Amino acid sequence: MKRFQRTLALVVCCSMLNLSLLQSAHAAMVSTEEVARLAVSSAPDSGHARLAAVLARDNVRSEMERLGIDPASAHERVAALTDEEAASLADQIDKAPAGGIIGAILLVFFVLLVTDILGLTKVFPFTRSVR
Amino acid sequence: MLATLIRRLRALRLALPAALCALLLAACASTPLQPVALAPGAPTRAELVDTPFFPDDSHFCGPAALATSLSAVGLATTPAQLVGQVFLPGREGTLQIEMLSGARRQGAVAMVIPGTLAALKQEVDAGHPVVVLQNLGLSWAPSWHYAVVVGYDLERELLLLRSGPMRRQEMTLRTFGHTWQRSQFWAFVALPPGRLPASVAEPDATRALVAFERNAAPAAAVIAYRAALQRWPHNATLAMGLGNALYASGDLPAAAQVFRNAAVTHRLAAAYNNLARILLQQGRAAEAKQAAEDGLALAGPLRATLLDTLRDIEATKLPGA
Repeated sequence: MKRFQRTLALVVCCSMLNLSLLQSAHAAMVSTEEVARLAVSSAPDSGHARLAAVLARDNVRSEMERLGIDPASAHERVAALTDEEAASLADQIDKAPAGGIIGAILLVFFVLLVTDILGLTKVFPFTRSVR
Repeated sequence: MLATLIRRLRALRLALPAALCALLLAACASTPLQPVALAPGAPTRAELVDTPFFPDDSHFCGPAALATSLSAVGLATTPAQLVGQVFLPGREGTLQIEMLSGARRQGAVAMVIPGTLAALKQEVDAGHPVVVLQNLGLSWAPSWHYAVVVGYDLERELLLLRSGPMRRQEMTLRTFGHTWQRSQFWAFVALPPGRLPASVAEPDATRALVAFERNAAPAAAVIAYRAALQRWPHNATLAMGLGNALYASGDLPAAAQVFRNAAVTHRLAAAYNNLARILLQQGRAAEAKQAAEDGLALAGPLRATLLDTLRDIEATKLPGA
């Protein structure tokens, strides 16, 4: 019974979240990105909104600074991603285990992002010039 | 029973090394690159000799390769200008996805092309340098590297690259194939809006253009979508993109025309919605209402959007009525 309640609460939460995102996404015109997203799946939530929420977390920000990216530039860089790319990144973060969230986010940001979106299955998607 | 089993195992022990050998041989014999089927009279060599060169012998091969490809197609830039946009100091490298978005931020459309030798040849023949991702090390000890393909010589089985500190690297097709295979044959072409890579597939082009529209000046997006629609006239997403870009550039009549066509041709609720919004803005409430109702009939996931539009149309009609 308890489990059922918990599941129900989760479902309600998710659907309400979805609803609010839906409403905030109601600009007058339907954007091309939304059309492209609808062509791929019927999930209407915005990848950018989800990703922005993750990037706003303090621990994520400090970790990014440690790696030499300033948060403003990170936001600019995320803004240059398509919604599809941002959603894929946010998905990866959502799936990461809660314990090692920082490590997971970094892994995702710097590694899985690319393997997932661009189909690269090797471990290190960044590049280092030889010589 | 037991004897049979033992006999079987013995047979297997003999067969196993033979099978392994066969596997190894197969691995050695395979070359990662499919040879190009040459049409009679087709060139066997070409080189884009005018491609600029930005030597790099540290970790900036990403910015250097991107600057090379952009400068080659008339979008002058330098690696130093790109470092802040595509380089991750903590990882001493550049992500693939940021190579694409970095090109977009410089006003270019970056499209991933098929990872084949035929595609590389097609692009060089069309005058487009190709940025490739190679792993010059081994799969378990990677040494990732971006380089720019600027030519080929199929008779000598060579590929010509601007690569790191080398202005003109000659690499055998075999070696190149192995280093490129480890990046899953990742390659892209960056061009000014209005030009398309010769080899690009429709889904990759569409994805790239939707991404381009996001940060581009509306006029540039219009040019880019128009060019793609010439090649793929039946693509609904591209049509919607052209309509939205025209709308963003303030050309309402042209945008309305594009949305009207897309609505009728593709039976797209989104196109009806945007058409209705423009008609409403132009003060043609009756036509707007008709378009929104047509759209509502097809709406699906966009139902709420169309209901909003209808509500706005009703609201503006009331005071005049």
